[in-house]
Amino acid sequence: MFEGQDHVQFTTDSAGQAASAPARQKWTLTQEAFDKLLMALGGDRDSGSEKYLEIRTHLTRFFEWRGCPFPEDHADETFNRIAKRVAEGEAILNPSSYAMGVARLLLLEIIKGRQREQSALTEISNSSEVYVDSDDGESRLTCLRNCLQGLSADNRDLILQYYQGEKSEKIRNRKKLMERLGIPVNTLRMRALRLREKLQGCVEECVGRA
Amino acid sequence: MATEPNSERLIARYLLGELPEEQQVEIEDRAFQDKDYLASITAVENDLIDEYVRHELSEAERRRFEDRFLASAERRKRVEFARALASVASETAVVEKPAAISWRDSLKAFIRGLNPAGQFALAAIMLLLIVGGAWLLTETLRLRSQFSRLQAEDQSRQSERKALEQQIEAERKRNEELTARLNQEKEQREQTEDSLRQLSETPDTTTPAPRPIIAALTLLPGVSRGGGAKPSLVMPENARLVRLQIGIDPEEQYKSFAAELRTVAGRQIWTREHLTARTRNGARAIGLTIPATALKPGEYELKLSGQTEGGGTDDVGFYYFNVRR
Repeated sequence: MFEGQDHVQFTTDSAGQAASAPARQKWTLTQEAFDKLLMALGGDRDSGSEKYLEIRTHLTRFFEWRGCPFPEDHADETFNRIAKRVAEGEAILNPSSYAMGVARLLLLEIIKGRQREQSALTEISNSSEVYVDSDDGESRLTCLRNCLQGLSADNRDLILQYYQGEKSEKIRNRKKLMERLGIPVNTLRMRALRLREKLQGCVEECVGRA
Repeated sequence: MATEPNSERLIARYLLGELPEEQQVEIEDRAFQDKDYLASITAVENDLIDEYVRHELSEAERRRFEDRFLASAERRKRVEFARALASVASETAVVEKPAAISWRDSLKAFIRGLNPAGQFALAAIMLLLIVGGAWLLTETLRLRSQFSRLQAEDQSRQSERKALEQQIEAERKRNEELTARLNQEKEQREQTEDSLRQLSETPDTTTPAPRPIIAALTLLPGVSRGGGAKPSLVMPENARLVRLQIGIDPEEQYKSFAAELRTVAGRQIWTREHLTARTRNGARAIGLTIPATALKPGEYELKLSGQTEGGGTDDVGFYYFNVRR
């Protein structure tokens, strides 16, 4: 099989996924339908698997950016809908654009569903009211300190200085870093980004263990 | 484009849901075709999260952020992570702050804080300091060079003075030696003159004075120091003078001769120069009169030297004799 197959849901029930997911007709993703989806995405199973993962990442980001509560579930729902159409014999010429089109339609459904819920439950009008700070803040801090120690001294200095200070001070820090390291702003940003992702992965793993 | 502030601002507005649908679609399509742009969106997203946890967003931005960013569990984790990172970064900032401000930054800040007149005055002072510093440096170098030269001259003078002192000391010693020799010569001369005066004085007819007793000895060449038959001079008690007849080879044709009398131990007791040889009955000899008091019982060596026309001296011979009482 391929990496990421654990994301695939062969049976989907949109009503059971999330409160905001729209109610729709049940359709079951079979092994045969999924194989056809992969063939439609990449021409063969391996290429199709790679394309599947790439598009799934993009879809997850898309739903995240649009403020959806379950981005990964919505990405899987998008694939289910595509697989259904492929199984019905529809040809896909540009898988990425096609997936984004389906995702945008799903987003409209999600937004409509959310609006219905909000009018029904006026007391839960603001999602920030639902959000409660997790109580694992201290363990997260401890994990972060440990994870920082796992970085090289240069990388540790870089990420701490990059995210240090507020507004103008932060900008000055980043300029100093660029001058000290002799690298353009884009390279510095990419380095900081990669380090931050690595560090966050380490922290989440550490918090999960704790 | 993604790095431009406007572009960053546009991405931030997109992430906060402030853009119309068309622009949102444009940004999403570009993000999924351009990996760098996608990364830029993630970077801006991180910055927004950081600003949120640091309470740097406006009230409206904060509300929109919470609508969008706190909706999913995944993003809430990112917010929690950002909160922890901000906390750790600020701890580090407190420790590193003093080192972070360089003297250049402080100077720049100070200069920027001055008004134009103050900046002009500062510039004038700096110019004066630079010119003065350059002049001081030049003067210091010149004086140092001069000092080195004077030091070398002083050392040279000191060595010359030392050499002169040594020379004066040597001259003084030589002078003392010469004075000592002169005194010795003078004493010998006085003794001889006394003796001669006594000899030449006319005897008183009424009270006849005792005649000076002269002890005489003839020395012939050829007697070695270790040889057995050395001539002996028996010195009478009342002897006042000793007359030595020194025989020499008739072939020795020197302008004059010098005699030096020493004890066997080598102590010089008498010298005389400008002696002339006389020939009598085919034999050639030099007469030498010395005070009897100069000769004590013992063995003696007499060295005879000949003075050449050129002013040099040659050893003519050595004579050995004993003195007894």
